[in-house]
Amino acid sequence: MRSLFMLLCLISVGAHAEAGSSVAATEWGLPRLMQSLVRVQSSQGKFVERKHLAVLDVPLTYSGTLSFRAPDHLEKRTLEPKEESLVLDQGVLTIENKARNLKRTLVVQQYPAVWAFVESIRSTLAGDLPTLERFYKVELKGNESKWHLKLLPLDQRTRDMVREIVITGSTNRVTKIEMTESNGDQSTMTVTGTVQ
Amino acid sequence: MNRRKHAAVFLWLAFVAACAVIIARSQFTADMSAFMPRNPTPTQKIMVEQLRDGVVSRLILVGVDGAPAPVLAQLSKNMAATLRNSAELVAVSNGEQVGMEQDFQLLWRNRYLLSDAVTPQRFTAQGLRESLSGYLDLFGTPMSGMAQRVLPNDPSGELIHMLEQLEGQSHPVMQDDVWFSRDGTRAMLLAHTKGAGNDIDAQERATLAIQGAFDAARKALPDAASAQVRMTGPGVFSVQSRASIRDDAWRLSLIATLLVASMLLMLYRSPRVLALGLFPVATGALAGVAAVSLGFGSVHGITLGFGVTLIGEGVDYAIYLFTQIEQNGTPQSTLRRIWPTLRLGVLTSICGFSAMLFSGFTGLAQLGLFSIAGLIGAVSTTRWVLPHLLPAGFSVHASSRFSSALMALVRRAPQARNALLAVMAVAAVLLVLQRNSLWNDSLSSMSPVSKESLALDEQLRRDMGAPDVRYMVVLNGSDQDGVLQQSEAIAVILRKLVRQGLLEGFDEPPLPSRVTQQVRQAALPDAATAQANLNQALHGMPFRNSIFAPFARDIAAAKQQPLLDRAALQGSNLGLKLDSFLVQRDGRWSLMLPLRGVKDAQGIEQAIRHASDLSFVLLDMKQESEQMFRDYRHEAAKNALLGAFAIVALLFVSLRSARRVLEVSLPLLAAVVVVTALLVLSGHTLSIFHLIGLLLVVAVGSNYALFFDHRCSSPQDRERTVTSLLFANAATVLGFGLLAFSQSPVLNAIGSTVATGAVLSLIFSAILIVRNDG
Repeated sequence: MRSLFMLLCLISVGAHAEAGSSVAATEWGLPRLMQSLVRVQSSQGKFVERKHLAVLDVPLTYSGTLSFRAPDHLEKRTLEPKEESLVLDQGVLTIENKARNLKRTLVVQQYPAVWAFVESIRSTLAGDLPTLERFYKVELKGNESKWHLKLLPLDQRTRDMVREIVITGSTNRVTKIEMTESNGDQSTMTVTGTVQ
Repeated sequence: MNRRKHAAVFLWLAFVAACAVIIARSQFTADMSAFMPRNPTPTQKIMVEQLRDGVVSRLILVGVDGAPAPVLAQLSKNMAATLRNSAELVAVSNGEQVGMEQDFQLLWRNRYLLSDAVTPQRFTAQGLRESLSGYLDLFGTPMSGMAQRVLPNDPSGELIHMLEQLEGQSHPVMQDDVWFSRDGTRAMLLAHTKGAGNDIDAQERATLAIQGAFDAARKALPDAASAQVRMTGPGVFSVQSRASIRDDAWRLSLIATLLVASMLLMLYRSPRVLALGLFPVATGALAGVAAVSLGFGSVHGITLGFGVTLIGEGVDYAIYLFTQIEQNGTPQSTLRRIWPTLRLGVLTSICGFSAMLFSGFTGLAQLGLFSIAGLIGAVSTTRWVLPHLLPAGFSVHASSRFSSALMALVRRAPQARNALLAVMAVAAVLLVLQRNSLWNDSLSSMSPVSKESLALDEQLRRDMGAPDVRYMVVLNGSDQDGVLQQSEAIAVILRKLVRQGLLEGFDEPPLPSRVTQQVRQAALPDAATAQANLNQALHGMPFRNSIFAPFARDIAAAKQQPLLDRAALQGSNLGLKLDSFLVQRDGRWSLMLPLRGVKDAQGIEQAIRHASDLSFVLLDMKQESEQMFRDYRHEAAKNALLGAFAIVALLFVSLRSARRVLEVSLPLLAAVVVVTALLVLSGHTLSIFHLIGLLLVVAVGSNYALFFDHRCSSPQDRERTVTSLLFANAATVLGFGLLAFSQSPVLNAIGSTVATGAVLSLIFSAILIVRNDG
């Protein structure tokens, strides 16, 4: 029964697989980038997220704080327009909306698409390449001071929802997460002021 | 003489044939009703029905472990694929999303009838505005994608509401698309058998199907050689215990028979006599089964099992006869000598067992009748048939050195009298001190299941997040919709009690009653109003208004749609879930609401009674079953005590001497007390099976005591008597002592009690009964 959430995602089909070439860097490359990310034990920052959704006339803008503690604790606290917190801890995602007195808890492993989405961020921050590659075809472009990590979902159910995720960063910091959904909807999360 | 011989043998054969005919037409049952009082309370009846074929009784939990997680997941998938086509199972779940599309479609298409959030208020501009703003919140979460998809049809959020409710229930962990234990070492499957829980053959076929599917899946996977499958569940328990009792009984009785037979063969030196020795007990068993079948209409498996045990005394009859034939004597002359004692021994046992006849429990009453008919059959065969079939001039020669050593021991035995009385007093004090913790009335003590199996059951249930159901609210009605309505009324009260903290939660049937569906349908606005309210709600919200066209259309359709019934859910997981709540029997419907995390059962019962005048039963499976077994055991103990009084009365009438009655009863009492104390000291808690064992100790031991009491005409006669007692005792100890090695708690309890008790009664009789012959 718990999989019904995901079944909803089966309603629409239409996935695009994009081909890309992996970057073969002798010096700086995916292994080096991941190593540098592994060394980050914790990080905090502010985010601004803009979503262009087909069902909405105007884009939605959310802002708040992000924090990460290696290897598996991730918090996204939305302050505007409404307070809402998303906490991922050891694979359990808790969504709390104080204004609506709502608290949802889900074990992300039970929702492949949600899991994949959550891992795109967590695994990148944790420098966990094996997990990342379990869900995505990973392509790295750019250089150490400005890199783009392009994630293409491997699983059909995830591809039904997400076309691609591009994570942009500089050295061992993530600065932007862009997601294109399969219906063309786009969201961009800009992360600033990361303190280590 | 010759004519009488033929007449006796002919009558006996006719009797055996008649018994065989009756038995062939008998009905045998193996369910819990043996433990049922003859006039059960409604609660007891419901409980036994649940244990017999309730949905819980049809559940098999399967764990696959011993290999890396991806291998286990593949095994689980392959097994489930095979088992979904098995004729023995109605459903197999392993977490895969098989058949979920159908459930989703059901919920989606019927969301306005199925969602309990549907009220008129929900479809006003205000109500829709609230749900729409909930959607906006969802867009900021990872669930954004699916929220966008359902929004145009379902702006009031019924589907999300229902999914959240389902989400609230506990589930096992998912890994590689299938259920796993929390630590990730075991893949979990859940199977519902087609056959009822008490249909052990069907349960056995189901477990074999699961084992077969596992074996096939393991063979097909290269890395799965080390994988193992484990199963648990009420049906699996029944299958295991039947198999273990059958295996142990076969193996141990084969060994015991070989041992006893070789002992007797050395003694008799004639295979023919050896075979004759089995006639009394075999005749007795046939007579017992036939009598129960005639008297009760059907025979319980439990009666068969323990009845044959109880007439184990019958084996001794032949030994008494054969070993006491003096040289140059005839069976007839021997019988003339020992018959009065043998007859009194049989009567004593019959007295002891007859109290059970009047028990309020079918199982005990059947056991009583079985034993009485069986012992009469056995002793009659010994008395009137065996003498005619024995080879002429048969007699037993025990080695004289052995006999004289034995007699020397017997002569010295009375010296231990005071020591024995002291031991008995100590044992009695111990039992009095321990009286409150002597008995174990839990269902598990009755179930012949090993501790390992129970531990595995607990482990798998924890892994599955499927705790054993202990409490349930049971409702009755004349039709299905009626009980559904009742359950809705009760659910309202229970929800309040959940908020008050009296329980953690409860499960509800996934189908609302027709009345509730009609109320929900009536709560829906017409299409135009729905559209107008939505337009008003959308005002000032960021949604693209043009996407909501499907909403008014769906609402209009829902107002017209036919109401859902059980048939509409058939074939889906929701239908299966609904069936697990409902039981139809004799044109009546029952509905069970299982309660979780009950903190205050009494408080719940009172609160429901206070808030509603519906008749219901709050069933506590644990307490109810323990109470029933406690009653059962109390009654058995009471009957045993009554039987003891009857025995004493009989002895008074026959022996006509208070001293002799005391002498004959004291060894038996001592044996019972000391055996019980030994069992307690070795860490056993006593069950009904020990009580059956003690009854047999008294039955067998009374023969020993009476033969010791029996006045012999010569020292040779005394020697033969004592020797025959020793051989009878050796046969009993060999037979029952081996049962003590059984893994099955039932066989173990009876075996250890009887073997120890038989030895002690013989020794105690020798010590306490001094008879001067002459």
